[in-house]
Amino acid sequence: MCLGIPGKVVEIYQANDMKMGKVDFGGVIKEACLEFLPDIQVGEYTIIHVGFGISQLDEEEAQRTLEMLREMEMLADELPELDQGLQV
Amino acid sequence: MGQTLVIQPVSRIEGHAKITIQLDDAGNVADTMVNVIELRGFERFCVGKPVEEMPRITTRICGVCPWSHHLASAKAADAVFGVQLPPAGEKLRRLCNSIAYMEEHILHFYILAGPDFILGPDAEYPVRNVIGILDAVPDVGRQVVKVRHMCAKMLELIAGKAIHPAAAVPGGFSRPLSEDERQSLLPMAEEALELAKFTISFAKENIFPKYMDVVKTVGTITSGFLGTVTDDGALDLYDGKLRMMYADGSYEEFPYDQYTDYIGEHVEPWTYLKFPYAKKRGPFELEDNAPSLYRVNSLARINVADYIPTPLAQKELEEFRTSFGRPAQLTLLYHWARLIELLHNAELALQLLNDPEITSSDIRASVTPRAARGVGVVEAPRGTLIHDYTTDEDGLLTHVNLLVATCQNNSAINLSVKQAAKTLIKDGNYDQGTLNTIEMAIRAYDPCLSCSTHRMDGTLPVKVDILSPNGEVIDTLTN
Repeated sequence: MCLGIPGKVVEIYQANDMKMGKVDFGGVIKEACLEFLPDIQVGEYTIIHVGFGISQLDEEEAQRTLEMLREMEMLADELPELDQGLQV
Repeated sequence: MGQTLVIQPVSRIEGHAKITIQLDDAGNVADTMVNVIELRGFERFCVGKPVEEMPRITTRICGVCPWSHHLASAKAADAVFGVQLPPAGEKLRRLCNSIAYMEEHILHFYILAGPDFILGPDAEYPVRNVIGILDAVPDVGRQVVKVRHMCAKMLELIAGKAIHPAAAVPGGFSRPLSEDERQSLLPMAEEALELAKFTISFAKENIFPKYMDVVKTVGTITSGFLGTVTDDGALDLYDGKLRMMYADGSYEEFPYDQYTDYIGEHVEPWTYLKFPYAKKRGPFELEDNAPSLYRVNSLARINVADYIPTPLAQKELEEFRTSFGRPAQLTLLYHWARLIELLHNAELALQLLNDPEITSSDIRASVTPRAARGVGVVEAPRGTLIHDYTTDEDGLLTHVNLLVATCQNNSAINLSVKQAAKTLIKDGNYDQGTLNTIEMAIRAYDPCLSCSTHRMDGTLPVKVDILSPNGEVIDTLTN
């Protein structure tokens, strides 16, 4: 199953005439093209797909989603792991 | 809750589609494995929750194609409650589905597949991005950005929020469409249709003819196909019955709730992602042309459908079939099929907006909790998406199973990569071009690995380990 994690926009700038942004995913900063999100501001959240911000979320929406993902992450930790001896 | 909780974005954001290529003594490909990251724990997370919350929960979890999960989930909940939707409730859902499709298909064709075709498969990585497209075809690039954004605005107008939709509810839709809203949506839908018409002619004139050699060779396999059709065999992306068409063109049809009789799920020890297979036709085999092998997504859908119920897309389908037959097997034709579907959805959105019933206020039937099982299916842009819920008498979930599109293409992706690797690697010789071509084979299926496993330049981060006959990693290629 696929998964879009919200990241926080920490910087917006223009590059090659395109709206670009730096997006913070829990400390990992990724660059993304924000041209599809003309209204997005620094401090708001976005979901990035193929290097593009595809949607805009407010803080509350983003936190709810992150909370849900954290809960699932914990449940996944209780599931059996793959055999580490195999090539994956 | 005492432990530190981190979502581990690093592993997902820096994640790769991991590919292992095993060479034999002569330096040719003995075997390949593609490992796609999968979200785990979701089914367990859902158990105990009220079923009517599922359409909201699923959209939060899948931010990339939230509408498909939202609608499959609402349909599964409808089935659990045993409720019939008022016609306008269903039409509003269909309208949202067609707009969400346009968003996805526009993004995929121009931004993901675009670099392969508009700029050419040999384009340098630094220019394989939207800026490269804008430089190559500036007017098209700007229109793409505009229409893609407009689709998001249309969904927001109909549903409230374009992402994390809370529009479909068990029994129908949560808010009616006003006449004013309909009037403001119409010109947007017309503009989207113009872009869809332009895109397919542009591709047929300037793109596909140039790359037919690539289309005929990269990642080719022979398989069956799964998709949704109406009772009279028309393509339907929102509702109908499932049709499993085999490579020889024969097919079986079944209602949603019998999918487990027709689709088996095989587990391999080297990946979390399961391998669904057509179990009426034989045991699981990870082999090209295996009787039980099937594919989903655009090409599958237009293969299984007898016709497309909108005129422009139907005309395109006829032309496509004249050239490639039915079922068409070439993997890169997924891109062409996507453009036929883009046109169909643009026609459909306009048709629905011109339907007098679309502004009816009778949009929702009442529901009562009960112990039941409900299976909801939609055709997500990436393929058939199945949500299967069981509830107790209070309407709380006791069992949840999801069969997602990327998972159903797991075997096909593995086999197309194997085919590409076998063609490209001879006598131990390979180079960076090998990786580019393998990436093209994967991209045709538009797998949703996660938001993270794509990079800024639109490439799929692919890591290929080359193994010696005795299993040692002798080389690693990354892009």
